[in-house]
Parts: sequence; structure tokens; C-alpha cells
Amino acid sequence: MAVQESAAQLSMTLKVQEYPTLKVPYETLNKRFRAAQKNIDRETSHVTMVVAELEKTLSSCPAVDSVVSLLDGVVEKLSVLKRKAVESIQAEDESAKLCKRRIEHLKEHSSDQPAAASMWKRKRMDRMMVEHLLRCGYYNTAVKLARQSGIEDLVNIEMFLTAKEVEESLERRETATCLAWCHDNKSRLRKMKDLLDPARWRMLIQQFRYDNYRLHQLGNNSVFTLTLQAGLSAIKTPQCYKEDGSSKSPDCPVCSRSLNKLAQPLPMAHCANSRLVCKISGDVMNENNPPMMLPNGYVYGYNSLLSIRQDDKVVCPRTKEVFHFSQAEKVYIM
Amino acid sequence: MDQCVTVERELEKVLHKFSGYGQLCERGLEELIDYTGGLKHEILQSHGQDAELSGTLSLVLTQCCKRIKDTVQKLASDHKDIHSSVSRVGKAIDKNFDSDISSVGIDGCWQADSQRLLNEVMVEHFFRQGMLDVAEELCQESGLSVDPSQKEPFVELNRILEALKVRVLRPALEWAVSNREMLIAQNSSLEFKLHRLYFISLLMGGTTNQREALQYAKNFQPFALNHQKDIQVLMGSLVYLRQGIENSPYVHLLDANQWADICDIFTRDACALLGLSVESPLSVSFSAGCVALPALINIKAVIEQRQCTGVWNQKDELPIEVDLGKKCWYHSIFACPILRQQTTDNNPPMKLVCGHIISRDALNKMFNGSK
Repeated sequence: MAVQESAAQLSMTLKVQEYPTLKVPYETLNKRFRAAQKNIDRETSHVTMVVAELEKTLSSCPAVDSVVSLLDGVVEKLSVLKRKAVESIQAEDESAKLCKRRIEHLKEHSSDQPAAASMWKRKRMDRMMVEHLLRCGYYNTAVKLARQSGIEDLVNIEMFLTAKEVEESLERRETATCLAWCHDNKSRLRKMKDLLDPARWRMLIQQFRYDNYRLHQLGNNSVFTLTLQAGLSAIKTPQCYKEDGSSKSPDCPVCSRSLNKLAQPLPMAHCANSRLVCKISGDVMNENNPPMMLPNGYVYGYNSLLSIRQDDKVVCPRTKEVFHFSQAEKVYIM
Repeated sequence: MDQCVTVERELEKVLHKFSGYGQLCERGLEELIDYTGGLKHEILQSHGQDAELSGTLSLVLTQCCKRIKDTVQKLASDHKDIHSSVSRVGKAIDKNFDSDISSVGIDGCWQADSQRLLNEVMVEHFFRQGMLDVAEELCQESGLSVDPSQKEPFVELNRILEALKVRVLRPALEWAVSNREMLIAQNSSLEFKLHRLYFISLLMGGTTNQREALQYAKNFQPFALNHQKDIQVLMGSLVYLRQGIENSPYVHLLDANQWADICDIFTRDACALLGLSVESPLSVSFSAGCVALPALINIKAVIEQRQCTGVWNQKDELPIEVDLGKKCWYHSIFACPILRQQTTDNNPPMKLVCGHIISRDALNKMFNGSK
């Protein structure tokens, strides 16, 4: 691969790119925990209630009939509690396991095996692209990409699809789905907005729509976009934008058609140290391949001049002027 | 890595607690249900229909009630206790991962047309990777029209690569033969390498393939000049066909890496022939961004902290150098060693008599400075 990334480098990048990867399933875990607590509390209070009734009956010479039927009630409520508790815990466990799977995947960035490491990087790009596509509203593409890349567990498709459903129902002027969403996210929204007055739900719906639309417009602020902008800047040089196009390199991403236009408004790479690349061979010019200047001012690598030398003459590839090999002068860059 | 380990540790604790709680909950409630059911049974057995409950059983039942209440209330509070472990996971994530990196983006720099351009880039990227249906789906969802000439070379290349990955050499060979002249012009030995691998695959079949292998060796003829040594090695290995190549000094011919390498060689030579870069431009740019991002975020934080935000916004250059490795040196850069700035058309590099190169501004400064 062209760009070198050490394990330490990958680790630093993890820190700035992977917050959504972990936080979203965590929030689901949190939600399911609260739901579980609610269920357990509710069923526990049901049990406590029927037990209290039984205790009351027992305290005043109870008939077998009434005791037996109350006991049935207790057993029934205990069974319901058991069932709900088990279901809730399973849901919580599932969420926690999803978080764990994602962390395990992230840990694989430090694999020693080059094949595994490059597979991880490929998946990383695919993951970020899936999220970007979801933000843009290209849901089918995102789902297809996630499936082909084998990363369905690692991306937050569900969250966006839920939002899509709400949005689409709002567009049909139906509020049921949105209300359900609000109810579902009630406690978090409560912390955020402090308004759950039933009369205010209309405003909440509008707020959702606004936020959701903003989410789409903010497609250009996906982690993918920010990463891409940074990368294009890091590669961009003045040579990519020379008017006569003479300095374009077929390997340089910023020189390629669409990326060239995209990178135009972005800052350029900062280079404090010189590096010269021979136009003929694409090799670096350094002490092993010293830079040589022809009388017309153009500089080429010594090895390249040797390779194009014919009868002690060289033809400048840029201007087609013919010079003697001996006319090439060594130059020094520091 | 530490970030992952820290979060994972908290997650493990939570998972452990869920598992323990789940077991206790299920077992405890099961026991209670059985016990209570058993009591009911006992009552029915020892009493007539309209009888009154005996004193002993009444006492036992009262105790049972207490036990039930205590158990279920403990269940509820035990679950509540897990909450702190759950929220510790969230805190670990907040502490170890950056929640908002939008500060590093440049507001409003990618407006109207950029969405379309980015979609084009992504479509081309998917064609390159052989993900044809993803590319077409994106075209459909984004309203782009597919340019067949853009997609064609990649379709064929991917078809050949898929075959190579399962050691089927025919499509690659056909392609190499039909592009023979251009491949030779760029010093590629692809065709020979493919023939060589086919020969080796015959060898792996043992003595039954001996005649076919000898027949196939005729294909080496045009390459006899440039690959003499290689051909000699291949022909020499035939001697060991009976006892098996894996038991001979020629065992290296069976090295599996060659099959992985031929995919890379084909990709490289084919892309060079078509004037394409080997790696998808989007992949390279994205990888470069992964390297640049943490550094830029850090420097942005430092700039803001020291309240010198002007430094970044004024220049249209990144504030720091990002090291991408030598493979990403696509263009020459000349930075004046004295003024430490890149040269431009207005400030071009100048050669001194001694052969050293500095920028014109530096040259002027030297003239004006010294006497």
C-alpha cells in the first residue's frame, strides 16, 4: 500500500475516528438496561402486591380455597417476572456482546500478519464509507456495501434506518412513528431538552425533522469526509494545479480528475524539507541518484540521464532540446 | 491500543455481571416457584375442600411470603447495582475516544457540486474494487449516469483477478497474449510468469502430467533468451516428478506465495498499461487522511489553547508536515533551506554558482543583507 501506517499510528487514528463505532451500541445497551430495570421493578411490585394480599388473608383465619387461589396468583406473577427478567437480561447481554465484538474488531488493527492488517484497513475505509453513505441518504448502497465487505455488525445501519422510517412517515404527514421514536428515546431526550409536556410534542416532531434533515445536509461532515479532506490536503502540492498540466503524475490521487476538483479549495501540504522526484523514472533524487540540471534549467536524476543517453547526448523530455551529457551539472539541495 | 483495552475491560465486567445475575435470577425464581407450588400441593392434600388452613401451614406460608418478598426485592436492587458498571463503559468510551472532531473540517468548503464529485469518485472506486453492484446502486441512488467506458477496463481486470485468485490462469494468459507488444515495451515479464505458473501447476499433478508438461514447455520458447535460467530450473525439476517435487531440491517451485504475487504483478502491469494508478485514488487519499487526522486535531487544539487561531486560517497550507512515507512522493517539492518555505512561481528556486539551490527571496535577502 502506498501510505505507510505503523501500529502506533493506527492506534492514534482509532482515537479520533471510532467514537461513533462504540458509543452507538453503548447507548443501545444503556437503553436496554433502563428498560430491563423498569420491567423488573414493575413485575417485582406485582409480585409484592399479590404476596401482600396473601399475607393479609393469612392473618385472619383463611379458608383453603382463597389461600390456594391466591397462591396460584403468586406463582403466576413469579413466572411472569421470571420470563420478563430473562428476556430483558438477554437483550442487555446481546447489546453488551455487540459492543465487545466491535472492540475486538478494533483491536485487530495491531495484527502482525500483513494480510490481516491490510484487510483491517480495507474494512476501516468501508466502515467509514457506509456511515457516510447513510448520512447522504443512500441507504441501499450502504447496506450492499456493508454486506459485501462483511462489516454489517460493525456499522450503525439500524440507527439510520430508524431515522429514515420516522422521516418518511413525517413526509406522509403521519406522526405515529415519530411519537413512538420520541417515547422510545424519552429519557435521553428528557435530559437533552427538558420538555416532555404533551402539548410540546409538535415542536419535538419539528425538532426531529430539523435535526434529521441537518443530519443529511451534514453529510459532508461524516468522519469519512473529514478524513478525506485531511488526506487530500496532505498530498496536495502546487504541481497538481499547474495550468499547463505538465506536472501531473498518474499515481498522484490529487492529480486525478474528480479529486483534483474536490481538493481545490483545500489547504496544501506543508513541506519543510525538499524532495526531488525525477520526471523520467519517478525515482527519488538523492545521493544515490544525484539531481543534475540541464542548461535549460530542468533537473533530472543522474541514473535517468544515463538511461536516456545516446551517443553522449541527452534529449530533455520536457522541451525536446538536445544537450551533451557533459553539460548536465550536479546541483545540491539541502 | 490502550483505549480499546480499557473499554474492553469494563465491558468484560458488565458481561460477567449480566451472566451471573441472569443465572441467579432464573434459578432463584425457579426455586421459589417450585417451592410455592409445592406448598399449594401440600395444602390441598392435607385439607378438605371447605376446611380452614391449619396453623402450621399458615405459619409456613407466612414465612414463604417473606422469603418471596425478600428475594424479588433483592433481584430488583441487584440489577440496579449493575448500573454503575454499565455507565463505567460509557465513561471509558468518552475518556478514550474523541467525540467531536468537526473542528478540523473546513466549514463550507465542499458545497453544491462537491457531493456529485465525491459520488463520482466513490463509484469509480467501487468499480475498481470489483464491487459492481454497489457501484451501480450508488449511481442509481445518487442520480449519476454510468459511463460504460469508465467501468469497462475494471470489469475485465476484476474478472481476470478473480480467476487468478483461484489459480485459474487462462483469462490472464489470454489478456497477456493480446497485449504482448505493449507489455514487452514496458519490460513486463507477465506472460512468461503465467506460463511458468501453469507449468508448475502441472508438476503438482505428478507423473500423470508428465507428457502434458513437456508439451506445455514449448510455450517457453519465445522467452528462451530473457529467462534462460528460470527455464532451465523448470525443465530440471521434471527429473523429480516421480518422487515428487516436494521431496526434491526444487521444492521452492511449490511456494504458495507465488500465486499471491502473480495477482499483484498482473494488477501492476495491467494498470501501468492502461495508464491507471495501481491503488484506488480514493483509498490512498483516505489512508493519507488517517495519518494526517490525529496530528491535525492535536495541532488545532494547541492553536486554540494558545489562542493564535489566525495561524491556520490565513495560510492555505496545512500548519504541520504529515509524513506519508516515500511511496507518496508523487511530485517534486523544493523548500528553500534558508527560508524554509516552498518555492512558488513568484518565488522560484535559483541555482548559485556553487551548485546549491535556494529560493529567489533568500537570494535577494543575501544580496541586500551582506556587503
